[in-house]
Amino acid sequence: MSESAIEIEYLQKHYGRFEALAGVSLDVPKGSVFGLLGPNGAGKSTLVKSLLTIVRPTKCRGSMLGERIGHRKTLGKVGYLPEHARFPDYLTGRQIVAYSAGLANVPSAVAKERAEQLLELVGMTEWADRKNGTYSKGMRQRVGLAQALINEPEIVFLDEPTDGVDPGGRIEIRKIIERMRDEGRTVFVNSHLLGEVEQVADQVAIMARGRIIEKGSIKDLTQRENRYEVRTLGPVPMQMREELESKGMRVAGDTVSLVADDANGVQPLIDLLRREGAAIREIKEVRSSLEDVFMESVERQEKEGV
Amino acid sequence: MRQFLAILNDSFRLLRARTLFWISLGVSAFAAIIYLSIGFDENGISLAFGLFTFDAEFAKKGSKGAELLYYGMFSNAIVGIWLTWIATILALISCAPVFPEFMEEGSAGVALSKPLSRPLLFLYKFIGGLLFMGIQVTLFVVIVFIAIKLRLGVWNPSVFWSVPIVLLVFSYLYAVMVWLGIKTRSVMASVLLTLLFWLVSFLVLFAESITHQAVLTDKGFLGESLTEEGVEGYRKANKMFRVPYAVLPKTSETVGLLDRLIVVGDGDVLGKATIDAMGKGGVISGDDGEVFKEDLDRHSPLYVIGTSVLFEVVVLLLAMRAFCRRDF
Repeated sequence: MSESAIEIEYLQKHYGRFEALAGVSLDVPKGSVFGLLGPNGAGKSTLVKSLLTIVRPTKCRGSMLGERIGHRKTLGKVGYLPEHARFPDYLTGRQIVAYSAGLANVPSAVAKERAEQLLELVGMTEWADRKNGTYSKGMRQRVGLAQALINEPEIVFLDEPTDGVDPGGRIEIRKIIERMRDEGRTVFVNSHLLGEVEQVADQVAIMARGRIIEKGSIKDLTQRENRYEVRTLGPVPMQMREELESKGMRVAGDTVSLVADDANGVQPLIDLLRREGAAIREIKEVRSSLEDVFMESVERQEKEGV
Repeated sequence: MRQFLAILNDSFRLLRARTLFWISLGVSAFAAIIYLSIGFDENGISLAFGLFTFDAEFAKKGSKGAELLYYGMFSNAIVGIWLTWIATILALISCAPVFPEFMEEGSAGVALSKPLSRPLLFLYKFIGGLLFMGIQVTLFVVIVFIAIKLRLGVWNPSVFWSVPIVLLVFSYLYAVMVWLGIKTRSVMASVLLTLLFWLVSFLVLFAESITHQAVLTDKGFLGESLTEEGVEGYRKANKMFRVPYAVLPKTSETVGLLDRLIVVGDGDVLGKATIDAMGKGGVISGDDGEVFKEDLDRHSPLYVIGTSVLFEVVVLLLAMRAFCRRDF
């Protein structure tokens, strides 16, 4: 089993009567890209902020980089890009990175050199000496990313990192995340953009109403259920439809979908359709996307919650 | 140390970005230059670098009167009015957004996620806020220091007491404003409530002072002679005001300490030298002079500063507690 960068045994946060985090438990392997998904208000940012001491958890047991969560010195090995990051308008991009370096206790000579490299990495060298107030949302996000990396962190928390970034910038950020993983860093990405997380994350967890409702590798989650779709020429006859639905299959127009371990499980359906004279137009194996898993999990949670 | 310097540097950049800072600095420099433009000649006082002259027997060049007048203008008008009231109000308005803006979503997160404890972060930010006043008053006093050499012919380093004294007065009020800023997260509310607090404190201290003087001189607020009953009334009132007086920060009295810290030509302190000169000039009677001297030394600097700083520390602890317990 791989070593954990973050190991949350139990994390709870109450705001008065409102339970923002309902005893979350989570493991983030070292050197991986971890995606935390969830609808707005699920508690994703509260979870990250609790790990970084920005929010004071009601109850918290667990460790980060081998030290208890909240250990001040350990935060020196952590980088953070907040959601809706607001840096002062009077600072230039370079000064924002330098300010972050100073707070992280990075020696100024080292910080200067790293700042140059990071500003280049995020494509901001040309605008580094302009004031933050003149930047677009995407440029601010890039500078935010550079400041998060100034202390060469072992774990980087990115809260909605591609928020406001153009498509080209999103691809660059994805490459930076992959590069960080290659360098052995752990990257914790909070996002509601499932497609992006799917492309880059090794492990994901889905959060809803302050609870982790699904977790695992993307492969495990998307292949957990093998689904097959059989399409007929014209709609499935009504009489046959009822019979198929009673066997747990889903019928929509000309498409019958069923869950089966492998192709053998589809044969009885094919036999049935042929026997009834329905012409088969297409048979295909359908893999669940992360979006399917996400939607199913959230809907299930909402039903259970009600 | 690196973290402290990073925050101090940020505070300095914040100040430079504020128009009010430059306006205030410009007006301070202007006021100091006006002070520099005042001089003395064989007939009396000259203004605007000699453009206007006024005959004044008591303030001829090289006289004790000229020396005391020049120091008195600095201590009472420039420090007592400009730096203590107007520049302080401008500084409070300028520094008011420091904490509320820092506590906005997406702003505090970066600093709080660093290996820097919240109490230290709070203290560094607070000290950074004092820069505004520190820079203003230092620039001002440097010009005054040069002016005194040019007009009176002496280097008087004791005027530099004005820097810590004015900064101390500002810090009493700034602490209150920071606490209110953290509690309300509103710039406007923190400024207005701080000014209200200052006004209430000033009135309480003023009431305590005049009731004390009335008991001491048997004269009422308007200079009328008091009966025994009248004195007793003032004594009771003074007793009532002494409790809030002891607790509240003593802004006027702290500035008043300059009269005891600025040394004039013959080695005497400014306050006593001025009272002596007024006595010799017949402006006040000998008895009144003794009363004024007694009033000048009524409270030791340790008491004035100690009780005020104690108030400031309590308020700062409350503010720090609120800052440390807040979720961002």
